[in-house]
Amino acid sequence: MSDAPDPRAFVDELVARRGRTPDQLVPLLNAVQDRYHHLPPEALERIGEVTAIHPADVLGVSTFYDRFRHRPAGTHALRVCHGTACHVRGSDRLDAALRRELGIPEADDTDPARRFTLERVDCVGCCALAPVVQVDELTLGHLDTRGVAEAVRRAAAEQQSQRWSDEAADHAAAAGGGQVLIALDTCCLIGGAGQVYRAVMDHLQRQRGRLNVAVRRVGCADLCRHGPAMQVMDRAGALHTYAGIDPADVESLLDRHFDTGALGLARQWAVKALDRLVRGPSATASTSDEPSPAAVVMPRRRPGHTHARSQQVRIATEHFGRLDPLDLEAYLACGGFDAWRQVVAQADPAGVIDLITRSGLRGRGGGGFPTGRKWAMARQQSAHRKIVICNGDEGDPGAFMDRTLMESFPLRVIEGLAIAAHAIGAREGIFYIRHEYPLARRRIARAIELCAQAGLIGRDALGGRAPLDLSVREGAGAFICGEETAMIASIQGRRGTPAMRPPYPIERGLWRVPTLVNNVETLADVPWIVRHGPEAFAAHGTGQSRGTKVFALAGKVKRGGLIEVPMGTSIHQVVFGIGGGPADGRAFKAVQIGGPSGGCLPASMAHTPIDYEALADAGAIMGSGGLVVLDDGDCMAELARYFLEFTQNQSCGKCSFCRIGTRRMHEILTRLCQGRGRSADIDELESLARQVTAGSLCGLGASAPNPVLTTLRYFRHEYEQHLAGRCPAGRCTDLIRYRVNDRCIGCTLCAQVCPVEAIAMTPYQPHQIDDERCTRCDACREVCPHEAIDVS
Amino acid sequence: MPRISIDQQTIEVAAGATVLDAARRLGLDIPTLCHHKGYPPQNSCLLCLVKVDGSPRLRPACSLPAAEGMVIESDSDEVRAARRTALELLLSDHAGDCVAPCQNNCPAYMDVPLMMRQIVGEEFEAAIRTVKAEIPLPAVLGRICPAPCEGGCRRKPGDAPVAVCLLKRFVADEDLSRDEPFVPACQAPSGRTVAVVGAGPAGLAAAYDLQLRGHACTLYDNNAQPGGALRYAIDRQVLPLDVLDGEIDIIRRLGAQFVMNWHMGVDGTLDELRRRHNAVLLAMGPVHGQAGELALATTSRGVSVNKRTFQTQRPDVFAAGGTLGRTRLAVRSLAQGKDAARCIDRYLRGDDPADAEQTVNVSMGRLAEQELAALMLEASPDDRLSPEGGLMRGFNRAEARAEAGRCLQCSCRGAGDCRIRALATQYGANPRRYPGARRRLSRVQRQGGVVFEPGKCIGCGLCVAIVRQMGEPIGLSFVGRGFDVHLAVPGGAGIARGLGQAARACVEACPTAALRFASPEPLVPLTVGAQPIAGP
Repeated sequence: MSDAPDPRAFVDELVARRGRTPDQLVPLLNAVQDRYHHLPPEALERIGEVTAIHPADVLGVSTFYDRFRHRPAGTHALRVCHGTACHVRGSDRLDAALRRELGIPEADDTDPARRFTLERVDCVGCCALAPVVQVDELTLGHLDTRGVAEAVRRAAAEQQSQRWSDEAADHAAAAGGGQVLIALDTCCLIGGAGQVYRAVMDHLQRQRGRLNVAVRRVGCADLCRHGPAMQVMDRAGALHTYAGIDPADVESLLDRHFDTGALGLARQWAVKALDRLVRGPSATASTSDEPSPAAVVMPRRRPGHTHARSQQVRIATEHFGRLDPLDLEAYLACGGFDAWRQVVAQADPAGVIDLITRSGLRGRGGGGFPTGRKWAMARQQSAHRKIVICNGDEGDPGAFMDRTLMESFPLRVIEGLAIAAHAIGAREGIFYIRHEYPLARRRIARAIELCAQAGLIGRDALGGRAPLDLSVREGAGAFICGEETAMIASIQGRRGTPAMRPPYPIERGLWRVPTLVNNVETLADVPWIVRHGPEAFAAHGTGQSRGTKVFALAGKVKRGGLIEVPMGTSIHQVVFGIGGGPADGRAFKAVQIGGPSGGCLPASMAHTPIDYEALADAGAIMGSGGLVVLDDGDCMAELARYFLEFTQNQSCGKCSFCRIGTRRMHEILTRLCQGRGRSADIDELESLARQVTAGSLCGLGASAPNPVLTTLRYFRHEYEQHLAGRCPAGRCTDLIRYRVNDRCIGCTLCAQVCPVEAIAMTPYQPHQIDDERCTRCDACREVCPHEAIDVS
Repeated sequence: MPRISIDQQTIEVAAGATVLDAARRLGLDIPTLCHHKGYPPQNSCLLCLVKVDGSPRLRPACSLPAAEGMVIESDSDEVRAARRTALELLLSDHAGDCVAPCQNNCPAYMDVPLMMRQIVGEEFEAAIRTVKAEIPLPAVLGRICPAPCEGGCRRKPGDAPVAVCLLKRFVADEDLSRDEPFVPACQAPSGRTVAVVGAGPAGLAAAYDLQLRGHACTLYDNNAQPGGALRYAIDRQVLPLDVLDGEIDIIRRLGAQFVMNWHMGVDGTLDELRRRHNAVLLAMGPVHGQAGELALATTSRGVSVNKRTFQTQRPDVFAAGGTLGRTRLAVRSLAQGKDAARCIDRYLRGDDPADAEQTVNVSMGRLAEQELAALMLEASPDDRLSPEGGLMRGFNRAEARAEAGRCLQCSCRGAGDCRIRALATQYGANPRRYPGARRRLSRVQRQGGVVFEPGKCIGCGLCVAIVRQMGEPIGLSFVGRGFDVHLAVPGGAGIARGLGQAARACVEACPTAALRFASPEPLVPLTVGAQPIAGP
């Protein structure tokens, strides 16, 4: 880093630009971390000298967030995602494989040559691509232990970047032309959507407009696991969806639909005939008004999305897969900002609140507090200054709803926030977006600019009738900052520790003024409700749970992705109807719903409707919308251990119950999973879990025991088996052995991949595994073409 | 002016008052550790949890504003269980021994570290008081005791345990060699008398303790001379008679009467003794065959007693020492005699004879290597000394001082007024309930006499708040997150620099011994670098 300036000078320059007030602390530290990949001590000292920030706060805050390093890092940062979906797909084994292959010693995070620094991140929100590793700016998905080191080395060597510039121009077409819609959200960009986009543009340029095809960037197209996704609307208006496209396929794919030469027409006819043969006549019988495409052709992966989409209702994700995230005109053309204009024109904030109340909308961030009531309380506050915060700090491992909403529908989220601000009488809005979501941050920031240029928001918004200042704040890696009082502390430049409520932020929040904190999805629902009326929203759902809910469906399921279903849809419908059931022919065992605050519901509870009350009765929570499917290879005690590891890592460390209680629970669970449990452990675990629930100060601590309590409720027998030294799912490495069965033909593949030479190279003879050497890395089982490796 | 109800009592409080304020006005005892008047609530210890309007989530009373109509439970089983759990969790992460392991291991529970400090300070008279507060025959035991105390010495795994037993003997010999050996003052006579049957270690110890407490004792013994096994079963080379007689003489000088050549059943019966005295202690060693004559319930080992009171089935008859079953340790017999004497004292005063509830002790168990190394830095690095004049002669003064300097002083300097220990005792918390990883034991000593023991910090946050409010330029902060949160001073400066002028306020507010002055008053003004600043 020879080009890096002196850290002190760098800080001076930053401070000159950003100011010296305490609220600049996290932004300053983020900038220093970006520049140096760690926080040099001189920089920290300088911040204390040249700002109004106390050195003790610099110390406290700079050690609170995951992203800040205090030691220099290697050339490349490797971040292994340990989100729920990645965890159940073997992130621990990836971690171990990377350490082994890259020579990173146990006691350190960097290899001796200082090329790679291995970090652990709790969730990067790319769950559909699990397991995931980030190499600098590049994210690699669908990894396995065998290929991971090679993939990482290649990525580091090629210095590729999936960083996508939204500045690229659209390609217009004359009337009657076709359209190509390319999904450019994070999941698809990871799959290579950027390259596909460029390939399409290059091809069209080479054809010099001969094809008359418009290209549009769109947001998520719900093919998260199979990106990049592209939809082609042919001149007849029929929509064809493709997933898993390679840039090299682009030319033939476009020619398939748009080549007007004689050869091309013949080819199109052949393609249609073939499609009909493969998928039946429905493949061609669709119209462009229908948001669901007629069929999905996945050159590289399985088809089957038609059915999946029909059960969904798009409200927060309206115009799903069709809307350019940053095309304000397109958004306006389909009713965007109508709700905002209408609300301002009517100048009846109380009426808006009444409308939201009647819609039955409840907070989608997990708590489920009635949104209308919250707004009404905020409106009642007499303070002159009020603030609205959009909570984009989605940190639940296994969840990526808010990321996708912000990436795909930034304008809608902004509109929702504007309406909320108007309703409660606020003129300031802040988007607090977690550090791990750079694309969401850029898109929201850009969308704010676009809206300001169009006079929709800003000081003179709508002719000065609805002044509204919006800004974006970046987190720095702390799950607890999703809790509203912790988030407020973080924005104010303090350690992100929650405060006792009351006072609620609604009474005294950011800068001690009334502050309304709403989740991304909640705000994304608002414009639709205003436009269609509360009754239309309330028409969906059951009981006290109205409208729809967006879920990030991931884990051991065939089709993971971002889905939106009416409240009251059963878990079974989601897992099987939309998700296509468990992958790899395994048995559906449970769903983990609500992340670390939620619970695991067994397959026998699959009839449970997804609504706030039914889930709470079952011991889970709605949560923010992470839904991870588990199969018979997943160990419930181990999963509980995983979540407690997460919560005890993410505990702010303030109150006794959470700081020490979650650690003690984690220790008991670890003992059990290692076969070292004591007979009283299960009862002790349960009683401690109940105490931590009752005693913790904030929601994180109070809900942290939920994964334990639900697994104890539904899978107590599994805990008891662990006490007896058995892991029935074959997952806990201390309790299992790998053996070769008699299906082995001696192909030596396993011996070739075994990283610790526990399998001798014995061609044409059944292999044997040396149990002493075996590290349970699972590489042999993954590679075996004959299912000849048993785990017992 | 909200009215709220706490434990069925209603009270009206000023707007903005907390539930804790209201409870205190009602005289209710809601415990707190992190609450400090004049500072915002820290909400970290959560000992003040109360149940609000029947909600299953308990709330901290210190920061919960009283609201009209609130119904609070502040002392239900549920609330008490939550507080106990909070204490058990805090103690599970508490690196320190309330009581030094040597003292814990000693059946007589002598305050060994205090004696060591007194020897190092050459305060030998004070030292004999410390010793004799628990052990009436230290010169005797100093020659024959197998020293279970040394088995627990923290220094044992490092090099070798401190020679506790020899040092105790040194203190006792030093005392006996004076013209006027130490004779403790007795309380005013109670008018009660106690018969002690048997003048061996248990009987002698009991008599010593009972005399001190104002009860007149008569020792009945079947031998010609007192001392029991100490006189008749031990090699006189090891335990010279003049040492034994010297220490028995002090008991005699306290007023104890000795009736020698007295045989139970021959020269008198238990019932006669009961008629003549207000209480009887049986301490005559093993009672094979005699038990029937005494008409007392027995076990296979000896006379059966209530373990907490030493009472036989007759409330005025107590038993200790070998009478309960053969003991191989003189110090155990002696300790039992002393403990029984204390029960007899309470019995004679009309109180419950049982010892009051046991004070909770945190004990660290095995130390990690670096923890021990850090502790060793604070004591003399020398190897264990052997008396130059041979074991029979014992230590001379110089040797005693040097050896006592090896003591690591692992007992807690805050044990006496530690709030978490007191609450743990009150709530019956078990410090070993949640075994697991804990903080590292370490001590940081800086100029100004502030001793910082991070291992004893419970993260209450008071010092951080005090330092912030007092505007200290360097200050201190919590560092890290979750279980590993700890205090640190910016730039790696010492704790005294971080605390600055707020040191005294912080030490006084600290609910444990994480922050203490090395001596009760700081000896020198706190300094920052070379610049002296005003003392705290």
